[in-house]
Amino acid sequence: MRNNAILAAGLLTAALAACGSSEPEPVVEQIVVREPGEPMPVATDEVMAGGKIDRVALGEEVFQQCTGCHNADPGGPNMAGPNLHGIVGKAAGTNPDYPYSEAMASSGLTWDFATLDRFLANPAAYVEGTSMVAGAVRDGEERAAIVAYLASTSE
Amino acid sequence: MAKFTLNGESVEVDADPNMPILWVVREKLGMNGTKFGCGIAQCGACTVHVDGQPVRSCSTPVSTAEGASVTTIEGIAGPEGELSALQKAWISEQVPQCGYCQSGQLMSATALLRDNPTPSDEDIDAAMKGNICRCGTYTRIRRAIKVASGQLPASEEA
Amino acid sequence: MNDLTPKKERSGLAKWSRRGFIGAGVLAGGGLLIGVAVRSGNPIGALAPKVAAGEGEQLVNAWVKIDTDNVVTAIVPHCEMGQGAHSVLAQMLAEELDADWSQVRVQQAPTDGSYIVTDTARQFLAPFTMNAADWIEPTWDGLFTQIGRMADVLITGGSSSIRSTGQYQMRVAGAAARKMLVGAAADEWGVPANEIETRDSTLIHAGSGKSATYAQFASAAAEQPMDQSPPLKTTDQYKLIGKSKARKDIPGKVDGTAKFGIDAAPEGVSFSYAASVRPPVPGTRVASMDASKAKEMSGVLQILNMGDFVAVVADSYWQAQQALNRVDVTWTESESAIKTSEDQFTAYRAAMDDAGADGGDEAASKGDFAGAFEGAATKIEAEYKVPYLAHAPMEPINCTAMVQDGKCDVWTSTQVPLMVRTELSSALGIDKGDITVHHPYLGGSFGRRLEGVYAVMAARVAQATGYPIKSIWSREEDTQKALYRPAEISRFKGGLDESGALVAYDNIFTQRNDPAEASVPGIYSIPNTKVRVAEAPLHLPFAAWRSVDHSQHGFFIESFIDEAAFEANADPYEYRLAMLKDAPRQAAVLKKVAENSDWGAELPQGRAKGIAIVESFGTIVAQVIEVDMSAGKPKLENVWAVCDAGYVVNPDGFRNQIEGGIVFGLTAAMYGELDLVEGGIKQSNFHDYKMLRIDEAPNIMVDIINSGDVPTGGAGEPGLPPAAPALANAIFAATGKRLRELPLAKQFA
Repeated sequence: MRNNAILAAGLLTAALAACGSSEPEPVVEQIVVREPGEPMPVATDEVMAGGKIDRVALGEEVFQQCTGCHNADPGGPNMAGPNLHGIVGKAAGTNPDYPYSEAMASSGLTWDFATLDRFLANPAAYVEGTSMVAGAVRDGEERAAIVAYLASTSE
Repeated sequence: MAKFTLNGESVEVDADPNMPILWVVREKLGMNGTKFGCGIAQCGACTVHVDGQPVRSCSTPVSTAEGASVTTIEGIAGPEGELSALQKAWISEQVPQCGYCQSGQLMSATALLRDNPTPSDEDIDAAMKGNICRCGTYTRIRRAIKVASGQLPASEEA
Repeated sequence: MNDLTPKKERSGLAKWSRRGFIGAGVLAGGGLLIGVAVRSGNPIGALAPKVAAGEGEQLVNAWVKIDTDNVVTAIVPHCEMGQGAHSVLAQMLAEELDADWSQVRVQQAPTDGSYIVTDTARQFLAPFTMNAADWIEPTWDGLFTQIGRMADVLITGGSSSIRSTGQYQMRVAGAAARKMLVGAAADEWGVPANEIETRDSTLIHAGSGKSATYAQFASAAAEQPMDQSPPLKTTDQYKLIGKSKARKDIPGKVDGTAKFGIDAAPEGVSFSYAASVRPPVPGTRVASMDASKAKEMSGVLQILNMGDFVAVVADSYWQAQQALNRVDVTWTESESAIKTSEDQFTAYRAAMDDAGADGGDEAASKGDFAGAFEGAATKIEAEYKVPYLAHAPMEPINCTAMVQDGKCDVWTSTQVPLMVRTELSSALGIDKGDITVHHPYLGGSFGRRLEGVYAVMAARVAQATGYPIKSIWSREEDTQKALYRPAEISRFKGGLDESGALVAYDNIFTQRNDPAEASVPGIYSIPNTKVRVAEAPLHLPFAAWRSVDHSQHGFFIESFIDEAAFEANADPYEYRLAMLKDAPRQAAVLKKVAENSDWGAELPQGRAKGIAIVESFGTIVAQVIEVDMSAGKPKLENVWAVCDAGYVVNPDGFRNQIEGGIVFGLTAAMYGELDLVEGGIKQSNFHDYKMLRIDEAPNIMVDIINSGDVPTGGAGEPGLPPAAPALANAIFAATGKRLRELPLAKQFA
């Protein structure tokens, strides 16, 4: 019988469940990397350790930190920030479907490696009044990789 | 090692340079007034000031604050701990409900009033629209900013 | 109110005498605390160390203590999630106690079975036991104490804090405590008790010139017999009730010192942090986990496949989450046939089609619908649709857990601390007595924190690792892996007579939860009414979401009534008023909102007003919303709300709750929508699960009618249900476009 008071039923079920039948669920797999307070093992991540760097691939990975606000897929949506597919080579603030800040719309910038690099290092300082209030990329290598990745979407 | 000034005190923290300011402040420095809400600079609960500018600390790496001055909700009262005009107005207008977003709201409002001592409704909307309040205290936030800026009288407790 | 009552109403509830819980305690064999004064040997004695730990503090009864500085502390059983319950319940206790409000403090009651909230238990559990025989009724109070304990009813919900706990526990506790203080002073001074006055936490005997603070008699008072049903003040005697006293939790919420669940920082404990990911589709589990990339990430301590979720433990939450993002997890296949939103709605339509014109479970009926519909001059039909919704409280889901030496402590934001304790006991194999649930302020909830699963997950990770763990869910996890307000479809048929009056009303829908009366147009006089439920499968787990079933039926019913008014060529306000002829309180509320909003006045081009009225959780709320459509999409201008909750305890706090309910309702009406894709939820965070922001928030004017001698209504939920229909009705008035689906904004994109 479907009851009028699912919540009440749920509460009683919880209470009754507690009366015995269920056993604590075992852990399926537990990987211990280190104990709290122990130093980190030496990083083995090839990408970070240098060697051959596929900048576009690295950039695509680093770009994940931007995906809360930006999509770079062809035809992808504008989110909190505009879609960035093919952005390199375009004039700033010109995606017709995105409500840019006055500052960005009137910046007169064209996005290339240099302007994107400077903007990403500190958006608010480079385009004062931009609505991009977060997401600065401090690390120059990471910035370069992001721009390389974005450029690859223009090709 | 990250070095910056936090609410007037210089601090040095051993933190991954990419770690957002939010987590450095909360977990490494034990200052819990700044809140985690969304992690993608959409809700404003984590708003702090870096060199006076309101930023979303959940999405701002601590490396960008190197050598800078960071102010959190714990740092906006006066030197003797007296509440700011905005904090007083937040009490007189009984703004908070759950209160979780209000640190961020107050940080955004503090920056607004510093730059614009008598903001209009439109100015308030523009400065505060990055801060979500799920309890829906927006009408009171507007009123409290007007009270703090002397444009409306404070409500009195019955 | 007319005679259309839901079939499944708690028939016993209305008949309860509301004797108050002191009597209930006696019935239950001393089960309830307040019935037992604090003396050695009494069960309540065991509580003293939990709540009166401070030196010089004396517990007078389970709900109030007084310290040597004459500070009165109200011990409040409900959680504080923004609704102001802590402060307003203290206000109710202080009223009856004649306490000095400036010296009143609030303390969260410990998570202890002694503090179950009996009257809330009735509200939540009455429907479950509604088939109990009449002979059991005299003992229901006692029964509910026991069921309440069994089911861990230390709940905050149902807009019940004031109307049950406040009215029947806090006030009674305050009055009883006052009488005990007076009795102690009378004995000591050798004067008649009825000559002693009380005010501002002071006892005064005018005849002898004697006076004393409450603190001076606190210990002696605890030895006094406790009145089982002390007389309560009448409205003309109120000094605190009815006043907008400032909330005591607000100062800490403007300087960053208020402690929410996520801020838990027990002294001397150093935590590791956990991030976790649950299966995207309900009912599925972890199939495989590849942690090779995550293992190399900085700060990582452990990576765990817990069977029903995967967790990464690290030195910081951010590192744990970054590493978790790089764990490759696959999930088992879901057996649910519902993969998309369209599948869900198709299942609903199929169930209603199967039920046909007469089928389904009858939720309410009156008169002869079929006959009246047959003979109606005008027939109308409409189908309405609303999507799944998440609660999205600002404080993400979290729990701090320590499991050591066979004991467990958790700190978490919850509406159901006792239920959390029971679930922990079951999941960890630890006795309930060895589990302590600490519950600080909640950073919003709205029904989200009525489950214990996140505390259990944190504690299981703490148990597996052996470390104290602070577990935090990402916003994405909370949006996609929670409990949900059901999607729903509701179909109506209506028949109007020659005069345009609605004489036949049939409604069928598929999801029935709570409250039972939500789907019943009981305030209106409609002679032939049928309300039916055709059960259909629900893919996502159900949650009580602010105002529960009213959140949907408010929109359905009040939109349909508006459609009937249009067909009748009548003004939507006048049309409703005519149908409220047997509902004087509701009619008064509607008239007042029309007056306040200047209903019928000329408006600039593009602007229009809509109206709606819904009674929920004992409170009648009517709203008029003014919308500006001149830009081709809705701009919310003004909302006028008028509310009758019987008697409002704290008018400003009440208004704040109504304002909040309106914004919550308008957020859902404008934007709220979760889509199912491959059985999971598409939206993830605030960029695609949009919230109303300050630049879109209307002016809100809330007015209160205190109609007095009726049961007190709630505040947290009743503001919400009229918002969506009032807005949709306003859009119709402005554009002629009848919107039968929520959300509204995208229909103008």
